[in-house]
Amino acid sequence: MKRSTKSIALAAGLVVGSFSAAWAEEITVSAWGGFFEETLRDVIYPGFTAETGIDVRSIAQPADQAWLTQLTNAARAKQAPADLSLVADEVLARGQGIGLWAKLDAAAMPGTQNLKDEYIKSDDDGVYAVGALSWYTTFVTNTTFQAEAPESWAEMWTTDWDGKLGMNSAANSGLMEATAVTFFGGYDIMETRDGLEQVIAKIAELKPQVNLWYRDEGQFQQGLEAGEFNAGLYYHDVTMLSALDGNAVQSNFPKEGGIRSDAYWVVPRDSENAVAAQKFIDYMSRPAVQAEMARNLGIFPIVPRDTTDLTDEEFSSVGSDIAPITVQSHIHLREGDWLSDKYLEMISQ
Amino acid sequence: MNRPLIPHLIGLYPLVMMCLFFLGPLAFMVVVSFYERDPLGFYNVAFVWDNYAKFFSSFYYTLSMRSLWSASLGAVLVVLLAFPAMYIIVDMSRRWQLFWVILLLSLMCLSEVVIGFAWVILMSESAGIPRFLGWLGLWEDPRSLSPSFGAMLIGLVSLGFSLVALMFYPQMAGRDRSIEEAALTLGTPPARVFTKVILPNFRPAIISSTVTMFVYFLGVFVMPTMLGRPQDWNMTVIITDKAVGDANMPLGAALSVIMLVFTLLIIGTLLAASRKRGKA
Repeated sequence: MKRSTKSIALAAGLVVGSFSAAWAEEITVSAWGGFFEETLRDVIYPGFTAETGIDVRSIAQPADQAWLTQLTNAARAKQAPADLSLVADEVLARGQGIGLWAKLDAAAMPGTQNLKDEYIKSDDDGVYAVGALSWYTTFVTNTTFQAEAPESWAEMWTTDWDGKLGMNSAANSGLMEATAVTFFGGYDIMETRDGLEQVIAKIAELKPQVNLWYRDEGQFQQGLEAGEFNAGLYYHDVTMLSALDGNAVQSNFPKEGGIRSDAYWVVPRDSENAVAAQKFIDYMSRPAVQAEMARNLGIFPIVPRDTTDLTDEEFSSVGSDIAPITVQSHIHLREGDWLSDKYLEMISQ
Repeated sequence: MNRPLIPHLIGLYPLVMMCLFFLGPLAFMVVVSFYERDPLGFYNVAFVWDNYAKFFSSFYYTLSMRSLWSASLGAVLVVLLAFPAMYIIVDMSRRWQLFWVILLLSLMCLSEVVIGFAWVILMSESAGIPRFLGWLGLWEDPRSLSPSFGAMLIGLVSLGFSLVALMFYPQMAGRDRSIEEAALTLGTPPARVFTKVILPNFRPAIISSTVTMFVYFLGVFVMPTMLGRPQDWNMTVIITDKAVGDANMPLGAALSVIMLVFTLLIIGTLLAASRKRGKA
């Protein structure tokens, strides 16, 4: 009985679908593949569709730079692989440098007034990106090895981790900034190449303790949950989820701050659904939606805390009140090739 | 004198295919390798030597030497292991031969990622060989065996083993055994028969399979990244990082061209050497 109703509904759906496809509004939204994209698709986007009638086709995008390369190639062919895309700030700046992003109409997105000012990115011609969410990278520890939380990033250097540290192999993971703040009194040292080399040399002191320089998260997470690492640099949100699953892991905010990174919504230049895309950004900027994302994705909201209905407990599970360490994207952009070569040279020697 | 046209047209087919799928992209890569890198964007059309200069001025040189070393070591190892294995297999009964060939063929269906992941688990501290050794009491403080150079080599060998073994199979199964039998009946010890009769007979096959494996291992990406440490990452990994990761296509292209030249030089030298020795 149930089955036949289902197939009738399906057949009807197909018929209706083929007619309605011509006019039903649909936007394609891309986000980092895996848990992130799946949760957005299953939990967050349906609310938008229910309110506006615009369908969201969710697609998974690869790591930042690889995605930028795909977007650039698509733009050369005057195509947009997605109407909206979630990008980290370094990709945002690179894409902006070559005019990849469409201009947005701030008036059509009243919801963005909720956001903190720094999350509306504009140039002389107008807005080109709007903040989507933030996330923290923290000092993650294995509670079986060490129960008490580390108080400072410096403990990464001073504690004997038994050669079981896991670190991100990319220069822009935030470790450079954390090192600069902890040992060199701030980001100023990163302004010169000389200073950057000093920071890298400080990180090199960790090398005897590091048994994995991971290239992607999966590599580290599996080992972390299996207890193969005693500590490392990892995402706060995923670690919290892992701890909830009963794994002996803990995400710690050192007194110098956790490393905060931001992601933005952009509309690729050749997208034909800019109006619907703006409705989407408007929706995603609302405090209620931000709070919903914090609860389900573990991300840090980019609207002021008091505008959300997050409880203290919920808030402290996604972030902290300690001023964050932020990745100095302008330095990574300026010194890009030189810096990534130096960093790679350090870890691969 | 009046040659028909059709055979010529048929002869053109491979040429067109080569141009379309190989020479065309290759030419484009060479052209891009001279373009200028645009740090904020993609690349600017230009003619500069910067990308090539980078190879010699920084640590890329060391890196490429490392990848040549790991690829050649892996190639020699896999041939050393696969050759005797196949030598034993072809002397088995028909049924067992079939079993091994099917097994080797099905091993080839496994993706690189699956093999790599299997080794990661096998060599991990919490679930694999180290834990087993610890449980036996043979290893007091068991530790993960990967990432390491050895782990990467094991990965390479498991990747290339079935390929090499199957390359040897037809020739080895169909070889003329009367030569070995003659040597044996004349009183040559079996070990000497192997080194003096069988190995020389298979020299061309051994050299060509070693070269094939060398080229194959130069291009692997998954094994070094999954099982190797940063110091084991080969040129392929670095080229991918540069071209896809940093969107630095010109440098990626230049490094690829250099690796191509290196590879051609090595293969050429090896083949020339083996031909010369074959004549002497």
